[in-house]
Amino acid sequence: MKNARDSLIITNNPLLAQCMEDCCEIRLFPECSYREILVKVRDLVYAGHTLYTHPLSGSVKPNETPYKSVVVSKVPHAFSAEQAGIISECIQAADKFTPRNRELTETVRRDFQLIDYTLLAGAVDFDAAAGLSKIKNI
Amino acid sequence: MKLELGFIEIKDIQFSNECKVENGTLFVDAEAVKAFVYEDDDVKACVKSACFDIARPGESVRITPVKDVIEPRVKVEGPGGEFPGVIAKVDTVGSGKTHVLRGMAVVTAGKIVGFQEGIIDMTGPGAEYTPFSKLLNLVMVCEPVEGVHQHEYEHAVRIAGLRAATFIGELGRSVTPDEVKTFETFGIKEGIEKFPNLPRVGYVHMLQSQGLLHDTYVYGVDAKRSLTTILYPTETMDGAIISGNCVSACDKNTTYHHQNNPVVADLFEQHGRTLNYVCNIITNENVYLADKQRSSDWSAKLCRLLDLDGVIVSQEGFGNPDTDLIMNTKKIEQMGVKTTIITDEYAGQDGKSQSLADADPLADAVVTGGNANEVIVLPPMEKVIGTLDYVDKIAGGHAGSLRPDGSIEAELQVITGATNEMGFNRLSAR
Amino acid sequence: MSYRVVHYINQFFANIGGEEMAHVAPELREGFVGPGLAFNQAWKGEAEIVATVVCGDSHFAEHEKEAKAQILAWVRELKPDLFIAGPAFNAGRYGYACANVALAVKEELGIPVLTGMYEENPGADLKDKILIVPTANSAAGMRKAAPVMAKLALKLMKGEKLGASCEDGYMPNGVRVNFFEKERGSKRAVDMLLKKLADKPFTTEYPMPSFDRVAPNPAVKDLSHATVALCTSGGIVPKGNPDHIESSSASHYGEYCIKGVEKLTAETHETAHGGYDPVYANENPNRVLPVDVMREFEREGRIGKLHDYFYTTVGNGTSVANAKKFAAEYAQKLLQAGVNAVIMTST
Repeated sequence: MKNARDSLIITNNPLLAQCMEDCCEIRLFPECSYREILVKVRDLVYAGHTLYTHPLSGSVKPNETPYKSVVVSKVPHAFSAEQAGIISECIQAADKFTPRNRELTETVRRDFQLIDYTLLAGAVDFDAAAGLSKIKNI
Repeated sequence: MKLELGFIEIKDIQFSNECKVENGTLFVDAEAVKAFVYEDDDVKACVKSACFDIARPGESVRITPVKDVIEPRVKVEGPGGEFPGVIAKVDTVGSGKTHVLRGMAVVTAGKIVGFQEGIIDMTGPGAEYTPFSKLLNLVMVCEPVEGVHQHEYEHAVRIAGLRAATFIGELGRSVTPDEVKTFETFGIKEGIEKFPNLPRVGYVHMLQSQGLLHDTYVYGVDAKRSLTTILYPTETMDGAIISGNCVSACDKNTTYHHQNNPVVADLFEQHGRTLNYVCNIITNENVYLADKQRSSDWSAKLCRLLDLDGVIVSQEGFGNPDTDLIMNTKKIEQMGVKTTIITDEYAGQDGKSQSLADADPLADAVVTGGNANEVIVLPPMEKVIGTLDYVDKIAGGHAGSLRPDGSIEAELQVITGATNEMGFNRLSAR
Repeated sequence: MSYRVVHYINQFFANIGGEEMAHVAPELREGFVGPGLAFNQAWKGEAEIVATVVCGDSHFAEHEKEAKAQILAWVRELKPDLFIAGPAFNAGRYGYACANVALAVKEELGIPVLTGMYEENPGADLKDKILIVPTANSAAGMRKAAPVMAKLALKLMKGEKLGASCEDGYMPNGVRVNFFEKERGSKRAVDMLLKKLADKPFTTEYPMPSFDRVAPNPAVKDLSHATVALCTSGGIVPKGNPDHIESSSASHYGEYCIKGVEKLTAETHETAHGGYDPVYANENPNRVLPVDVMREFEREGRIGKLHDYFYTTVGNGTSVANAKKFAAEYAQKLLQAGVNAVIMTST
């Protein structure tokens, strides 16, 4: 995995946390919404953490999937106005979607978790399939 | 590189016990197509069933959830074959002669994941928005084998669609085309000598490459694993790029969009007259920010290296790619190369929000495919090919929902190809 | 039955006179006056101007509140289906009056409104709030403007869905509306690129939101000898708001002395801002304008000196143009007073 020693994953996706727990530091906030994860990331970017993955990864819309995972640096480096711009524009972009308030079945939840997990795994060169087989063997 | 496309106009599709193209009618034996599709081991292992149906323009038919749309073609002369590196061997395509079954498409449909979108209405208000309502569609509805992983299944259905299109395309091999058109771009020096006074123009073609259900393949290579590189425009026209993108129906580029890339077509229209069409630069839309920086640096670098005067930049998808679009545009402009970009908008249902997730004053020439959040009501259709199971069902007529009478109130987002970011449609916004 | 329209025009178009008659107070006339004829003709009986309000431009500028109240009272009484103003072309005060009267009618009475003017007319600042049809910069443009305005007016009266700005001929108002172009997007992109390459004018279909980013000045090298001023858009003013800075859409700023003031208190200062809950700012105005902390820094020698004056206005809905004008003016004063740095607080 790219930069594993300097990576911190902010996520509300339990599947991702299970699959990737051995490879880098993960902060799982299962009770947080998509937007709340973005806000946590914003606060870390303000504190000088480097944004490693794009906060709006995936074409699944913010009002469709409840899951969001973003990689930032484990420790603060230096504040970047450009990165602060990216994360704040992402929050704005997420806010313009009308809430759908739909009931998600367990299967759909799992699918959303899987998409979020695989997009992030792909971004950081983590073997998504290996992560999945690990949890299956438990 | 010179490519000759021979267009065979398809005016009707009929199920039959033989397979042939005769007087503009495609006769197709579904069992024969199926048998060819199932010759692939991945399809055999993952696809439980594949059923065929026909949807014609004007019929009261709704196809959903749509995965991909593919135009059947066959290579009749010159190197390579259809979908190189995936179906045919990996030989370079884009030269020789290819026959195109124009006016029809193979559409793959069926659930991949539980939130599948993508609607093609063959009539009514929804039909105005999707280009595929104007085509004769041979639809293949697939069902997964129980317990198959989503990524394996997506791959299998992708292959199944391409194989079906290849089988149908083959039927046009010995048919005399109704129209023949030739497309040719030149080597760098040759082009400059031929058109010394014309501006040198390129096409920066951004490919969706974020990961599972968000992928594009070039000669079989996953675009996220590739550096920004150059293609002859005729390679794109000849099936070098295929879609593995299943998300964001309105602005995903299907394989049909790649085969019939409108930017390529309209640049060829002006080639040698008002501009010198040099090449296509393909670049990806990765999730990792350092990848974005590298890819956009390379786009700009190649524009400069090729001494381009101007480029058109097209995008695919929502959110994350906006950042790539703006990075590409900004860096290319800073190299002194002029840009025009094509995108779509997510301006909210009321049209009042900022349309893109990124912006820069250097992106001063923008063409838009419209606001994907605009709400539309799709009346019920007499027949549904596929299933309505994946259209949201919410009490209270919330946007994105299936109403009891079978009509759907939804954002334009759900319609396949509605706000295409290659500029395939006439839809726009102000 | 035809739709009923009230029309607003100035003294010039009512044939009362030019600048020398700009002081005339609002009057109400029956039927159409002057340019109203062009609208009536374009409507061909489907709609008709039932009354015309005539008001002098200077009068409106100097007595805006009273003039608006009078006009609103008449329009309320007449209950028209539409209120149309101008077109004002590039007459600045006329354009300002058209836009502001129309906005008042729309907001207070909920009646559809429409006006027209040249794009650079100051009244066009309100284009996101009311529909404005762009016109030529002189009255010679009436022949072109009238049919566009009349057609759009009918659409509004019939309650039809508004098309995109380029279809229905109004100034882009920040609301994106879909429509079908004549050519597909890729063709439009090629045409646009060819124009751009030939240095010919072209129009983008989506103007990028413009951020007026100000590049920061280099850091102050030695704060311990610097004079630092406090400025705010949070509306902190001496108790009683002596200069009547408006609670929203401020038209001016205030300059107040804090020489010798150790800290602001609820007795001495308050906020004039109408856009946030004022309780905490009124309780302790230092929360918005931190005089207390600055004095501490002054005593500790971390800054040289707190400037004797602070500059303040209300940011609530105040136009960017006004805000720029205020700052350009007091920045000169700060420079003259030898101020080295400014802390600008917002809310």
